[in-house]
Amino acid sequence: MPVMNSAYNGRQPNEFKVLTELEGIPNSRSLEVYKKHGGYAALEKILKGKMSQEEVINIVKASGLRGRGGAGFPTGMKWGFVPKGEGEKYLITNFDEGEPGTYKDRYIAELNAHMLIEGKLIAAYAIGASKSYIYLRGEFYDEIAWCEQAIKEAYAAGYLGDNVMGTGFKHHMDVYIGAGAYICGEETGLISSLEGKKGQPKLKPPFPAVKGYLGKPTIVNNVETLAVVPWIIRNGAEAYKKFGTEKSAGTKLFNISGPVVRPGCYELPLGYPLKRFIYEDCGGLIGGKKLKAVIPGGASAPVLTAAEVETMTMDYEAFAAAGSMLGSGAVIVIPEDVSMVEVLENLMHFFKDESCGQCTPCREGTGWLLKMSRGILQGEGQPGDEKKIAEVAGKMMGRTICTFSDAAAGPARSIPQKFAHEFLEYYKKKSSAHGQG
Amino acid sequence: MSNQVTLSINNQSVTVPAGSTIMDAAQKAGVSVPHFCWHPGLSIAGVCRFCMVKVEGMPKLQIACNTPASEGMKVDTVSDEVKETHKWALEFHLINHPLDCPICDQAGECELQNYYMKVGKYQSQMEDQKVLKPKALDVGDTLVLDTERCILCSRCVRFEDEVTKTSTLGIFNRGDQATIGTYPDRKIKHNYSYNLADICPVGAFTAKDFRFKCRVWFLKETKTVCPGCSTGCNVNLFQNSNQREYYRLKPRHNADVNGHWMCDTGRTMYEHLNASARLASPLLSGQSISSAAALQAVADAVKGLSADKVALVLTAQYTNEEYAGVLSSLKTVLKGTPKVFVWRDESEKADDFDGILFRGDRNPNTRGMMDVLKEHAIQPTMLKGDFSALAGTSPEVTVVMGPEIEAGYPNLQKALSRFSEMKKAVYFGNSLTDAAKKFWLRVPVKTFAEKSGTFVNFNGVAQKLKANPPVFTNVKAVDEYFAEVGKLAHTAG
Repeated sequence: MPVMNSAYNGRQPNEFKVLTELEGIPNSRSLEVYKKHGGYAALEKILKGKMSQEEVINIVKASGLRGRGGAGFPTGMKWGFVPKGEGEKYLITNFDEGEPGTYKDRYIAELNAHMLIEGKLIAAYAIGASKSYIYLRGEFYDEIAWCEQAIKEAYAAGYLGDNVMGTGFKHHMDVYIGAGAYICGEETGLISSLEGKKGQPKLKPPFPAVKGYLGKPTIVNNVETLAVVPWIIRNGAEAYKKFGTEKSAGTKLFNISGPVVRPGCYELPLGYPLKRFIYEDCGGLIGGKKLKAVIPGGASAPVLTAAEVETMTMDYEAFAAAGSMLGSGAVIVIPEDVSMVEVLENLMHFFKDESCGQCTPCREGTGWLLKMSRGILQGEGQPGDEKKIAEVAGKMMGRTICTFSDAAAGPARSIPQKFAHEFLEYYKKKSSAHGQG
Repeated sequence: MSNQVTLSINNQSVTVPAGSTIMDAAQKAGVSVPHFCWHPGLSIAGVCRFCMVKVEGMPKLQIACNTPASEGMKVDTVSDEVKETHKWALEFHLINHPLDCPICDQAGECELQNYYMKVGKYQSQMEDQKVLKPKALDVGDTLVLDTERCILCSRCVRFEDEVTKTSTLGIFNRGDQATIGTYPDRKIKHNYSYNLADICPVGAFTAKDFRFKCRVWFLKETKTVCPGCSTGCNVNLFQNSNQREYYRLKPRHNADVNGHWMCDTGRTMYEHLNASARLASPLLSGQSISSAAALQAVADAVKGLSADKVALVLTAQYTNEEYAGVLSSLKTVLKGTPKVFVWRDESEKADDFDGILFRGDRNPNTRGMMDVLKEHAIQPTMLKGDFSALAGTSPEVTVVMGPEIEAGYPNLQKALSRFSEMKKAVYFGNSLTDAAKKFWLRVPVKTFAEKSGTFVNFNGVAQKLKANPPVFTNVKAVDEYFAEVGKLAHTAG
């Protein structure tokens, strides 16, 4: 069982401020406030200190930073995959925040988009990219404006352009607005969309680090991943590693939703106890309701039972050991009075709508899973249907171009397996009070 | 560094060039890996997820079509895990497929059917309402599209993007609503459209020219060469083995000639083969006569003439063997070489090329014919729009070996009228046109489907035709007739 970092005992979440330092500070989005709190010092340190690309990558590697978008791939290692030397390379920020329950990236933009821009400049320097994009979800009107404003300010202040801070480093940045497809948050789907094609994941190999946007080496990083990089450069890899566990270094933004007393976006060190988070930091469930289940990392993460939550810590390895995942850090709390069959049907509806339709098992499977779960919900199910759902979901895993199919299969396998008894109720009722039209 | 890699597939060793995929290696080793979206003539899509194989050392199954083959790799395509995956891949393909095989024209040559028998044979668990999509869409002059039968393999989309570069087709919407279709206000109109029906592994695209005419299991195929132009695409010619009716042509892969494709013009090369489209028996001044009588008439006409009083008008649609046979026989009979003319349609632009396969020279054997003439030391006179050279020689007998494919001769009627005005004009060919009726003597001949022989394509590639039994048993090839004429003239002389 994962052991919680004892350093957290007795400490409050507001002591773990890396990304949320500007929380509560008036006019936090301005460049002025950002600079007052150390903004662009990291970039200056790298450019004026003439650090090599390798040195920057090594610091990020040493910090143990892992991708915050969901997959948790070590960031420094990813940057290291880009071929060295001359030639066009691209850095793209994945700001297509669409994982149900997730609202951390927009929170960063709301605090100060310069964190992202500085992080992008550092990453671009490390991989040798002179052009980068922020791929923004189309529905994020405010965030689009904030990012565009910050880019404008950065150009005016000399942080962007042909001669960044007079050091000869060249970097240009643009915002690209997506059209709201979940699959465009998958890195190769995002690249397809950015290229003006239908947003569909690309076959690998070749991998984007070798052949990505417009056929050039490309790195796609999540907003949160990039936004934390300046802090790491300023304070050093060791300082960052003081937070978190051995394999899950640092802090992470968690978004909690569901009927808790204080929902919202919290910055916590990785390895933080899930139960303490729900009951102490978020004030427990409204009206003292009992907890039934938790989806710990966005819609794709397999569900945890209340019993599993008891001892769970919030880090990559503990969630993985329980057959789930940290994902995007979107904690969805399900109380005792919500039917898990409804939860399943709701999630399957999402995945059926968002499958790009390219690979057969996913295209056909997601639709089938929805029909089966909806059938049960409407009282048309028969004993064994829940097993069929889990079986079909199992056959969708590991067989497609991207991991969307696996994501859909996650809840479709875990809910029937862990809450089989709730399905039996529906078979008995034949016509359910929860039934939807 | 070696540019070959050796791997094993089901413990069978196979060596392929570096950069090949597991699918390439499996093809070479003769191991069948089920697939829908992969096509050797198109880019790799990797979307059907059917060709999954086990690669030793890799945790998940891999798709054979996009996984690079590497040295020492051990691939398994027959283990229970792989078989189970193939079954499920088929189940996913079929859950929303209408299963309307009894009324589907693809039945019998449908990959869904074939694979179900090969790797499926499971009891489907699908009990829910299927997704409904548009059916019987008119997407152009040649094809009908049923989007419900489509398995979204994207072969047709890639064909349009990569081969014809017309990009008419796309997959619209997403998830299980994803639907194949043409872009708004666009139709499939190019000369390669029937290839879409060929590469469609299911009954989504069916050919208007063929659908509902004959169930495919009644058809027998003959491996032969398309006579439609000087490219000489390798084809399979399909005939109903009971009724002797010809129904269609399909391309046959030949990397040196036509790759995987053929044009729509070539697809029509069955129409003139059937009985109703051709002359059945010889006609002398409009009166039906026997072949023997017709040949006797020719023998009598040429007997005793000096060679320069016989004109031989050729079209480049006969085999090398026919030209050689006719020339030899005539030389013997005439004790000299007749005047040889080559008739080209006046509109012909022989050097035209559409960039894919179709050539402006609509004759399949221009090169072969010229080679044979050269061997016989004959310098032919060209007749192209201007026929005065022929009239100028004032022949006593004019023998015309007419074109089998009249579509290549838009000015056929005009030319035939001129030829028929000649003294004792004899026409070898199956033409039913009005102008042909004016000839003194008409003799039907075998078509390309009924003779074995050689066509030499524009590029000098000599290719053999394969003979089916003739539709009319009395009809012979032109060289066979002239051998007969030779004997008759000799006897008479």
